Amino acid sequence: MVMFEFLRGRSSGADLRLSGTSLFSGLSRVELKTLEGFTHTRHYLPGEIIFDQGEEGQALYIVISGRVLICHPGEVESPIAELGPGSFFGELALLDDTPRSAQARAGTETELAALFRGDFERLMETHARIASRIALQLARNLGQRLRQAVSRPQEAT
Amino acid sequence: MKPEYQSGPLVWLGVIAGTCLMLFLFQQILWLVVPFLLALILYYALLPLKQRLVLAGFSHNLAATLVSLAVGALVVVALMVSLPWLTAEAAKWQESSARYLDGGLNLLMATLKKLETQFAVLARLRLSAELTQGISEFSEHFAQKHLAGALMTLAAWAPSLLLAPFVAFFMLRDGWRLKRFVGQSVPNAFFERTLYLLDQLDRTARLYFVGLLQLTLLDTLFLAAGLWLLGISAPLVLGLVTAVLAWVPYVGSIAGCLLVVLVAATDFPAQPQVAYGAVLLFLLVRLLDDFFFMPLTVGKSLNIHPLLTVLMIFIGGAVAGIAGLMLVLPVLGLAMVLGETLGRVVTDPRLRARHAHARRLREMEAAADL
Repeated sequence: MVMFEFLRGRSSGADLRLSGTSLFSGLSRVELKTLEGFTHTRHYLPGEIIFDQGEEGQALYIVISGRVLICHPGEVESPIAELGPGSFFGELALLDDTPRSAQARAGTETELAALFRGDFERLMETHARIASRIALQLARNLGQRLRQAVSRPQEAT
Repeated sequence: MKPEYQSGPLVWLGVIAGTCLMLFLFQQILWLVVPFLLALILYYALLPLKQRLVLAGFSHNLAATLVSLAVGALVVVALMVSLPWLTAEAAKWQESSARYLDGGLNLLMATLKKLETQFAVLARLRLSAELTQGISEFSEHFAQKHLAGALMTLAAWAPSLLLAPFVAFFMLRDGWRLKRFVGQSVPNAFFERTLYLLDQLDRTARLYFVGLLQLTLLDTLFLAAGLWLLGISAPLVLGLVTAVLAWVPYVGSIAGCLLVVLVAATDFPAQPQVAYGAVLLFLLVRLLDDFFFMPLTVGKSLNIHPLLTVLMIFIGGAVAGIAGLMLVLPVLGLAMVLGETLGRVVTDPRLRARHAHARRLREMEAAADL
């Protein structure tokens, strides 16, 4: 296969905008490039709503540049979380179509990459290795959050 | 949580009207629609191969080129292998088609005469004599009246059918770019919902066309096995031709059945029961299709009520003839997704408000330093 290496597509640094995201940390350069083909790039202005609380979730978002505020509707001044480049949000949408638990809003001019549940499911069918690595990172992330949620009330008491 | 969106009667009327309009327009540019449809079938059949190459590290362009070249080479090899047989068959095409037609007519006459001996009403009507006269008049002038037109149609269609592999190649190479381009043209507020429904459209089309290919394979195998058991010549070729003809609902199946009966009647002129056996086989495969194969293959993709399906097939036939019969289901599937997308987007005040807000923000940004 090595002798056909020259036939392969060039992979420049510009192709790998997703490499800084912990969700995709287990993926190789080629796998990241393949994943890029499944994502959609979106640009938001400061204050623009990305999704609403209660809306049916269909996509996971990765912050490429800018800042995203996760907040309850009407409480923009006191956000639950503020996310920067490399962070991701809306990940539960990859698992099922339950309503979004909070509102996401662009804090500054923001560029996001969106990965749809449909595309993630297709990724599972056609590129099972990539999908399983993402699913593993997703499970780790959710486990970490669960531990944090459990330990918080204990710390409070 | 908001109740799940359900398309109302207005949306459904729009979907049906849109389907009829699209069928009418498609009929006017059938020379472009048919190769496009064939290209779609090729595209969905070859897409998994291309995706494997992309995963192996090849660029989209190169993967599409390699897959297309491999398939092209396969077709060339298959043609080269079958060319001697094809040329030999073509030379005796006229003779054998006349022979098969005679065989079919003999079977028809024999059956009618048998019926006339049993039913006095039919004997008084002199049905067989009338039919013999009608057919001889028709066949006498057939060549002068229709042959030139048929050859012209064939010559006109050949270049457009050659478009199919080219269109399939560009779909393989640039299909993902088109999807991104469509995604970029959707405003942020409607993005998630629209892309989800477009994804459903892609999934439906993929399942439909791959299902159609699977159904054709199953039909071919079952028909070929049945025809082989009946002892009819070239069972595999006949099975394949009739399975492809079945892509046109109803009319295609009847044409396929007639073809098999002609061959059976010619191969066994003294044994009409073989031809009747072929008809029975056809009915059996149709039943298998409707109750087992269709739900397993094509039925999975189009979530349309059976009554609406039948109604739309009749409407499609009335609006655009045979082309309408063939195209009505995929076009209805497309119109349903488009109708649902528009219905969901237009009827959601929150999405419209978000879009208006985003537009205001963009206008403010554009006018910031004025």
